[in-house]
Amino acid sequence: MAYASGYFKTSYGAELALVETRLQWAALAALGLGLGLFPLLASPFALDLANQVLLAVIGAVALMLLTGYAGQISLGHAGLLAAGAFTTGILAEEAGAPFWLTVPASGAVGAVLGLVFGLPSLRLKGLYLAVSTLALHFIVAFLGSEYETRHGFSTGILLDSPRLGPVVLDDARLWYGLLLAVAAAVFLFSRNLLRTRTGRAWIALRDRDVVAAALGIPVAAAKLSAFVVSSVLTALAGCLFAYYRGFVSIEAFSLFTTIEYVAMLIIGGLGSLLGAVLGAVFVVTFPYLIDLAVDLLPVPARLSTYVFAVKYAAFGLIMLLFLLLEPEGLLGIWRRVRDYFVLWPFRYRPLAGRS
Amino acid sequence: MVLLQVEKLEVVYHQVLTAVQGVSLAVRQGQIVALLGTNGAGKTTTLRAVSGFIGLDDARVTAGRILYRGEDIHGLPPHAVARRGVVLVPERDKVFESLTVLENLEVARRCPHQEARRLYDLVFTFFPQLAAVRHRQAGYLSGGERQMLAIASALLCRPQLLLVDELSLGLAPRLVQALMAQLQAIRRELDLTVLLVEQNAAAALAVADYGYVMENGRVVLDGEPSRLRAHPDIREFYLGHGEQQTRRSYRDVKQYRRRRRWYG
Repeated sequence: MAYASGYFKTSYGAELALVETRLQWAALAALGLGLGLFPLLASPFALDLANQVLLAVIGAVALMLLTGYAGQISLGHAGLLAAGAFTTGILAEEAGAPFWLTVPASGAVGAVLGLVFGLPSLRLKGLYLAVSTLALHFIVAFLGSEYETRHGFSTGILLDSPRLGPVVLDDARLWYGLLLAVAAAVFLFSRNLLRTRTGRAWIALRDRDVVAAALGIPVAAAKLSAFVVSSVLTALAGCLFAYYRGFVSIEAFSLFTTIEYVAMLIIGGLGSLLGAVLGAVFVVTFPYLIDLAVDLLPVPARLSTYVFAVKYAAFGLIMLLFLLLEPEGLLGIWRRVRDYFVLWPFRYRPLAGRS
Repeated sequence: MVLLQVEKLEVVYHQVLTAVQGVSLAVRQGQIVALLGTNGAGKTTTLRAVSGFIGLDDARVTAGRILYRGEDIHGLPPHAVARRGVVLVPERDKVFESLTVLENLEVARRCPHQEARRLYDLVFTFFPQLAAVRHRQAGYLSGGERQMLAIASALLCRPQLLLVDELSLGLAPRLVQALMAQLQAIRRELDLTVLLVEQNAAAALAVADYGYVMENGRVVLDGEPSRLRAHPDIREFYLGHGEQQTRRSYRDVKQYRRRRRWYG
């Protein structure tokens, strides 16, 4: 029996480590440095874009836990984001609740909604489940718009910048720091959760729910826990989104938002947290990339009105191309690039390939 | 001591199709009991009724009782049945493809690390092939390795009664023999009881202590393997060396002739 030579683990601690090699540590340090220096160098526009990306990362990771790992399709994602945002908006507006109160309250609302709208998953699968979660979206959207019209916030609820101790979060750089910390915490939390009994149960459930039950996993409880955890994180993202934007309006949470998040998972690569991050970066920045391309290309002025439509069409086209050509998404591309450099400057070549 | 007692079980699919009609069987502690029969005889349905999965297929137990250690376990959800020590190794689709071999075992683990260590050692001793591929994703395993992994995962649940559905399905004859022998060894080592559902009568009877033969939802014959093996109908229809040269199906023979032989 021949074993591959290379990197071996010599202790149980090494077996559990998230970061395994010095090279990975170095790459991580470089990434940290880059992310740390970014706000100092970036333009206000780029900084705002980065904050949007970070918010999307939190939401995408939350959806990835539910859809990518536990295998439960949800189209209620925008509804959950809206629930978090409206909980924050209403509490701040009606009761003047501070930041440290609205955040857990949003999470709690998310947990309850996740539990209730997770219940159909015990009976329904696939497309049927997707349709039942759509109900969540429409119920929250209805309640949100009712609140807005009844209380005269037809343009949305305005929020003051939140206060974290002595610091008032009114600067994009401060927001960048906060969002980066939260996104990193959510990522790390999810990464570790997936290595626990709960996380493995979710994956087991996705792969073979019958076998999971045969091996003693309570399927109902596992499914509901996936819905609850994902919903809490999503509602938190909604809460932060509300504060970051400074106002809450149901207009911001259309069904298209849900589609965007599902697209992040597909484009990034289902079943991977890194895929969720890559997908979030791509989907958020993509419309701006198109703008940039249009600016650079010599487009006649009379066609510039079509740019908006082109954005949507290009978005659809990219989705289609990913589904057809790269089902593993950006992650698949990333893996291939990485594998290429593992052997670099040599190349893997099948032995019998040369004739 | 009788560990599992099925009494006059009747299972109906979609409220119209009776798959199991009044099946009674007993599994004694420490035995390997084989439940034999062709496709559609109702073996798997009986097994799914015992393991609590019957509700998933829109089937219902309409009569009878399923007693495990004297307690009626019918109506319990599958995971509760598993936690009582009655663990099913399903027919197909039995491993989690995207998890590695070790993670598959971890999913099934219910006991603290100390004891799990002992169980891991045990399953890797019984299935050294698995130890070699422990970090490989289960989706890349061969059929035989998957079967080993499925049995190993079930063992991690610390079962008292192992329900094995079609151990031989899709495996090479020699591998089936080896797996059956392993099952016997595991039974001795862990003091297990096994209910083995099989089409491959020869392989199952080689390791079983007792056998039941099902046809059309009924148990038509039961007894010690030596008796079953010697029975002319079993020889003809299940073991394939009857008076005629060609192996025939029991369906080809007139019902009354078989009745006469078996009960006469």
